[in-house]
Amino acid sequence: MSLFGASVRRKEDPRLLRGDGRYVADIKLHGMVHAIFVRSTWAHADLRGIDTSAALADPRVVAVITADDLPPGLAPLPCIDAEETTKPFNQTILATDRVRYVGEPVALLIVEGDRYIAEDLVGLVEVDYEPRPAVSTAEAAMAPGAPIVHSETNVAEVLEYDIGDTAGALASAPHTFTERFVTQRQAGMPMETRGVIVDWDQRRDGITVWSSTQIPHSLKAAIVGYLGLSENAVRVIAPDVGGAFGVKLQPYPEEIVLAFAAQSVGRPIKWIEDRYEHFVASTHGREQYHDVEVGYDDDGRILAIRDHAVTNTGAYLQRLALVEPFIAVSMLSGPYIIENQHLISTVLMTNTTPLNPFRGVGHVQAAFVMERIVDLVAGGVGLDPAEVRFRNMLPNDVFPLHRGIGNVLAGEIIYDSGDYQACLTRALEVADWDGFRAEQERALTDGRHLGIGIGFFVEETGLGPYESGRVRVEPSGQVVVFTGACSSGQGHDTVLAQITADELGADFDDIVVVHGDTDLVSSGVGTYASRSAPVGGTAVRHAAIAIRAQALRIAADMLEAAPNDLELIDGEVKVKGTPTRAVSLAQIAGRVAPGQQLPDGVDNYTLDATDVYHPTTNTFAYGCHISTVEVDVETGVVTLLRHVVVNDSGTLINPLLVDGQVQGGVALGIGGALMEKLFYGDDGQPLSTNFMDYLIPAVGNMPEMTVEHMAVPTPLNPDGMKGAGEGGAVGSPAAIANAVADALLPFGARVTETPLDPVTVYELLRDSTVIAPTGA
Amino acid sequence: MTSHDISIMVNGVRRTGSVPARLTLADYLRERLDLTATHLACEHGVCGACTVIVDGETARACLMLTVQADGSEVTTFEGMTKNGELGPIQEGLWTKHGMQCGFCTPGFAMTISELLDENPEPTRDQIVEALGGNLCRCTGYVKIIEAVEEAVAIRGGVT
Repeated sequence: MSLFGASVRRKEDPRLLRGDGRYVADIKLHGMVHAIFVRSTWAHADLRGIDTSAALADPRVVAVITADDLPPGLAPLPCIDAEETTKPFNQTILATDRVRYVGEPVALLIVEGDRYIAEDLVGLVEVDYEPRPAVSTAEAAMAPGAPIVHSETNVAEVLEYDIGDTAGALASAPHTFTERFVTQRQAGMPMETRGVIVDWDQRRDGITVWSSTQIPHSLKAAIVGYLGLSENAVRVIAPDVGGAFGVKLQPYPEEIVLAFAAQSVGRPIKWIEDRYEHFVASTHGREQYHDVEVGYDDDGRILAIRDHAVTNTGAYLQRLALVEPFIAVSMLSGPYIIENQHLISTVLMTNTTPLNPFRGVGHVQAAFVMERIVDLVAGGVGLDPAEVRFRNMLPNDVFPLHRGIGNVLAGEIIYDSGDYQACLTRALEVADWDGFRAEQERALTDGRHLGIGIGFFVEETGLGPYESGRVRVEPSGQVVVFTGACSSGQGHDTVLAQITADELGADFDDIVVVHGDTDLVSSGVGTYASRSAPVGGTAVRHAAIAIRAQALRIAADMLEAAPNDLELIDGEVKVKGTPTRAVSLAQIAGRVAPGQQLPDGVDNYTLDATDVYHPTTNTFAYGCHISTVEVDVETGVVTLLRHVVVNDSGTLINPLLVDGQVQGGVALGIGGALMEKLFYGDDGQPLSTNFMDYLIPAVGNMPEMTVEHMAVPTPLNPDGMKGAGEGGAVGSPAAIANAVADALLPFGARVTETPLDPVTVYELLRDSTVIAPTGA
Repeated sequence: MTSHDISIMVNGVRRTGSVPARLTLADYLRERLDLTATHLACEHGVCGACTVIVDGETARACLMLTVQADGSEVTTFEGMTKNGELGPIQEGLWTKHGMQCGFCTPGFAMTISELLDENPEPTRDQIVEALGGNLCRCTGYVKIIEAVEEAVAIRGGVT
């Protein structure tokens, strides 16, 4: 039986279900001390001094570390996708002379004892702040005379792309409109916060770092660089990671400070972020507005779009700060033919927690803006929104399709494969688009306001630059897979074992998958951008193919047969036609174990192969979400009725797990569409710092959900995989917003922002000009 | 800091000792007893990741002080595994893929256990009602609901 494509249960789960998970907070080391960060309480202030004397006088305090205690001249944390023109508004490891957001690390206090003691003593570090005026919104940051977050300007970068003749097309278009669309500040909010343990071993002049991270190899490189150590002196381990969603996608200041502290203190140090810290000190995402001008004709064809997107990126440019501003405009046109596009993306600094990519990065905004545009065009010409989509949508014979935009790490945008129209057609069928219209009409006569909306998206997935995969067969016959793509819950162990089992005919249960440890996995990139299956999986496939070839060559010697006469089935190499002449993978591995006389033509004492796969270009997944809602026009409460997803992630390794990815993504999208918003005061004080002020979806917020797959393979990798981690989060807010807009159509209300929480919907209704017809 | 002597049955084992008044039950379980499956995700009683069973009822171990549990019987997620074998709730979560990162899973499992003790064959609405106080950021809850239904089916098959 082929395991590739089968919905097998996860290898990871029995261990986790016995309570044997090992997350960072669960790790205890002998002699361990506890750390707590002193963080800025001001959004913007000069740092006039830090008095550590009271803290140091307490016998329980092991050390206090401020910027002065770090080596002089340390480089700030880099933004690796910065353009040459990008302003160097980067974050130092600890604040030096100024703080720029509430939550910015100012000092580190290390205590003998536990977290209780650490929190008792943190107030002993006295920080002298001289407050400055602060800005928290993009509008305020651009206003004349606005406080400057860094120096000279609050504009860190302006990206611009021009395709066709947008000005001409807008001038001659039969119809045009302008609109501002707003997406709020949100955050990934994994259930496990960040956490770090550092253990300096002076006997080997080296450090071991356990961190809840998506990128152990990048973190290792950062620590090697900052501490000036040799590579073999640094080991980074990402143990079980309790969700990440992009929040754990960069080396953070805390990790670097702690590594320095470990060196000076000489004892293991543990820091576990609490939820308040997570709200203010882990990266946020999404906050943008898009000022668009759209030209279209009488048939509902979109002729031109001008989009000026503005991102409030917070106080410092993080490692991948430009990805979200870039993708939000470069992927705007999604599945549509828009010949004239003028796209500008401005990146603004404010005194708020910095932004970095999180699940669906940029695509969420692009889909929300574009899909709202399509519905407004449909309304403008009096056509069905589905019909307007078909009229503007790319046909299925255009691939590979160069989109004429390329920049910021990802290379040129070239759509690889798909059938967008078939996807939309199927989604309309599953959602019973026409049937719902009748239901909607009936409901209206009862005074109930239902709505239906489409959210189609195309999403850049399978991002490079590379990933490593290694397969080794032990003399026992056990197969070990090493991958640089580490898990934060997706199921890497399972799907990579499925690929390997398939290629080698090995027993799925006998395969061990190793990841998240830089000593065990020599190179790797990590998990983000829906890349682990298409990039990491392809590397493992290639390595397994190499193992198969090696095994056949060795078996040919053992069985005295030509390699071409052999086949590898169920973990055994057999002579074709004479299945009784066979040797197992264990016997083959034993045949080349050290101490053996190697067969002629075999030059390695091991059955072991490594591949580092560099994708030439990205894959592009896509999907269609259709949401139905009921809006209570008295209270503004939106109730989700049903959510349909028809998704194309290419070939699926494990449909059960992909369904889980899509459903989880939709939940995140529901949060973005209806509930989640990180509020700041005008003074830059964060106002949402716990799960009572920042609502994430609970089970009662979920609609009935239907997920189907198209599975059009990509030609870019041998298994045809496109990646599945984010699409659920990308299409859902657009679909829900369009459904709410549809329900509010009788009131003339114009939906232009998320979240559509009760207050926002109530205000839309209050401000609407049309008295809606109600039935009863 | 005042310390108090306590005696608590945890997963069927009598535990005694002296704890400071402010030590939460979650930290007692995790730090003193090394029962680390009780996870801390918000520490303000909203998310349910730290849910344990105290005298037959679910409790937020992050909001309960250890001294409040003195004389009680506490069951943690570790206590759900008998002789190394997964029980029906765990099997349900595994079979239906009702978990991804696994961080919220112990809390859900304890809430499900309370639900099924009180109501062995809950309707879907009753499941949704019961799980309303546990947050998961990975699964979208669809497969957690299915996992409860699977656990019900497995338990039905046993009796």
